[in-house]
Amino acid sequence: MSEKLSSKQLSKKITEEYMEEAFHAHEKGKLIGYSTAISPVEIFVAHDIIPIYPENHAVANLTAKKGVELCSVVEGMGYTNHLCAYARSDLGYRKTGLTVTKGIPDPDLFLACNAQCFTLTKWFQVLSRQNGAPVFVFDTPEYVMNKKAREEIVKYCVLQLKELISFLEEVTKKKFDYDRLKEVMKYSAQSSILYKKFLDMAQYKPSPISIFDALIGMAIAVYRRGTQECVDYYQTLCDEIQAKVDQGIGVLPKEKEKYRLYWENLPVWFKFSDHAKLLGSYGGVILTSLYVHAWSLELDLDKDPLVTLAENYVSRFSNSTIEDRVDMAMDLFKKYDMNGMIMFMNRSCKAVSFAVPTLKDILTKKTGIPALVFESDMGDQRFYAESQVRTRIEAYFETLDRLQGSKSAA
Amino acid sequence: MWDNLSLKEVVEYANDPYPSIRKWAKDTGKKVVGSTIADVPEEIVHAFGFLPVALIGTQKPLKKAPAKLPDNACSLARSNLELVMSYEGDLFDGFVLPQVCDTTQHLSDIWRINFPEKYVESFLAPRQADRPSARYWVKEEIERLIASLSNWTGRTIQDKDLLESIKIYNESKTLLAQIYEIKRKNPAAITNKEFFALIKLSMQVDKAELNKSLKKIKDNLDTKTKAEGYTDVIMVGITCDPPEIFDLFDEIKINIAGDSLITGTRYLQGIVPENGGPVDALTARHFRRGFYSPIHDDVFRNFEEVKALYKATNAKAIVYVHIEFCESEEYDLPDLKNMIRKEGIPMHVVDTEYQTTSLSHVRTRLQAFFESLKGGSL
Repeated sequence: MSEKLSSKQLSKKITEEYMEEAFHAHEKGKLIGYSTAISPVEIFVAHDIIPIYPENHAVANLTAKKGVELCSVVEGMGYTNHLCAYARSDLGYRKTGLTVTKGIPDPDLFLACNAQCFTLTKWFQVLSRQNGAPVFVFDTPEYVMNKKAREEIVKYCVLQLKELISFLEEVTKKKFDYDRLKEVMKYSAQSSILYKKFLDMAQYKPSPISIFDALIGMAIAVYRRGTQECVDYYQTLCDEIQAKVDQGIGVLPKEKEKYRLYWENLPVWFKFSDHAKLLGSYGGVILTSLYVHAWSLELDLDKDPLVTLAENYVSRFSNSTIEDRVDMAMDLFKKYDMNGMIMFMNRSCKAVSFAVPTLKDILTKKTGIPALVFESDMGDQRFYAESQVRTRIEAYFETLDRLQGSKSAA
Repeated sequence: MWDNLSLKEVVEYANDPYPSIRKWAKDTGKKVVGSTIADVPEEIVHAFGFLPVALIGTQKPLKKAPAKLPDNACSLARSNLELVMSYEGDLFDGFVLPQVCDTTQHLSDIWRINFPEKYVESFLAPRQADRPSARYWVKEEIERLIASLSNWTGRTIQDKDLLESIKIYNESKTLLAQIYEIKRKNPAAITNKEFFALIKLSMQVDKAELNKSLKKIKDNLDTKTKAEGYTDVIMVGITCDPPEIFDLFDEIKINIAGDSLITGTRYLQGIVPENGGPVDALTARHFRRGFYSPIHDDVFRNFEEVKALYKATNAKAIVYVHIEFCESEEYDLPDLKNMIRKEGIPMHVVDTEYQTTSLSHVRTRLQAFFESLKGGSL
């Protein structure tokens, strides 16, 4: 009997097998479908289309600080540096072949779900013009705060999921198997529950995980949801983190964990580990964000699969009203007992960032907790001012210290 | 108020229509409902007895909007937010805000949160347009808008009310299209600045009144004097602001003979069939005119349409007006530019921003382009 793999080993194995299969998809009669990270990919999986996420590939290159090199190439092609760094670095990869991974296979089709953003739709349209593969836009109107409107939105989305299925049947010349979809959704529902359980372990004091663990841990949920191996991975991960909790092991030792922080937005990928160390030196741990919770789906397997898929994907934080995003964040503040917040204005991600000033105003008012706001870019180092960010972080912790001091004195 | 305007007055009013709208609202006791430009069926708002006003930014300085939308947000979105937050907010009783992209989606939320005392409704335009579900969705949204306005006002409208509004709006667009036709043949009859001011103003004031001015203006245009020395171009984009950009064309006899602006031809394409049910007709209109949001733009189709317009108008060049920082345009523009240049069509891109204080760089670049177009010094 073979030894049980750790979550890290399992993640590596799953990823390698997934990419291996993707690179040989055509030999096995399968197609490659590029997809937005937030999209009803369960339909792809059920139809034997291998989902590939150019965003994930971009993250690998941007984390490895290849952003400037790749983005500069694209800017030379006439694209402005205001566009998403994922998109720019990906278009740069197409032009140069430069990547820190083995790259990703070319697409046979695209699925753009705008519950995430419209950038992906436009980015996929650019790629589609290059290789001629068709783009299917799954349009998710904002999940406005009106019960009747929401019912109509879900109906519209279900209609589109049916259109998506017809589109896939047309492209693959293969009939869609609804029983297979149910099976895939069962896995997706199970892994989502486990993934959420993993994220929610940040409730413990000291927290056994930081957002940086969550960002690493979410990868399998993004690209392998709908499979048994995804369920196995999160079960293993939860078991490991639970063992840490049982032993009282935290990201920081209990006596040093002073500030339990909320993070708004995607991370600054190329500063990932630096930020963790810097914050840790002040007793700060970032516990969570709405972003990592985007894959905590709550699929209802008793409902029509297309209805529960539509309900889930249309209601992701990135497609919710600012008021709903406030409520979602407030739930996290209460559940995780957080006492600080970092609001990142990410030039690359307009879809998330344009809500940040308003979110910050409301959240600071509701929680009474001051916010650290800083502007930079998740992938383009040219928009990152090291000394400015450090100074702001230092000043923020001084403010928190002062507030905590006056609370203790009172 | 707007029923006997000269072209000079049209330009003045279009530059700042709000004092006249304020006076009109006071005199008539009617309420004013604003919409950012894209896809809202304004005939419905009108049928409820409101004055629908298209919000097309302000040239006044930004004060409050930058705290809500960062500097890499669409310049028109920031300008519109400023217009309402700092300058004209009190004029509006409500807003119907279309959602067509990431920015407009957030703008609706920011607007609603910042104006809790006003009626704010979103019009959730479809962001896919080629499948049957899109048609279903537009009809749903039109019906939801009617129900929402009914709920706000406590009154219902009948098909005949809607048809009445459609007729007034159709008449306006027809008159403007006729004036455009005159302008194409006789560029000396009306300047670019005057013509596009007419369209802009028609999107902001009472059409029943303005139609009377349009008729008089059309009848009085000098169609006899032979226009000499003009060079025709077409203009592609969303809007063209500040209006002084048109002066740069007029000064050297560059005639905009065709365009794809929302404050231009795309608006005029919105004539609604008057036979049949008005909701179905408004739904059909949504898909028949050029889409307001560049989210939908299929660059290949866009290129073919621009090329066809260029040929049909016998233009000499294409001027593309890009609003900073419209992300959708920015993804499409490099490919569109390449296609146009490969076709051998001269093209110039003008980057504009609301709140622009100086046009000197635009002037220099445009003049150099026009000089090369006319084959010598201007």
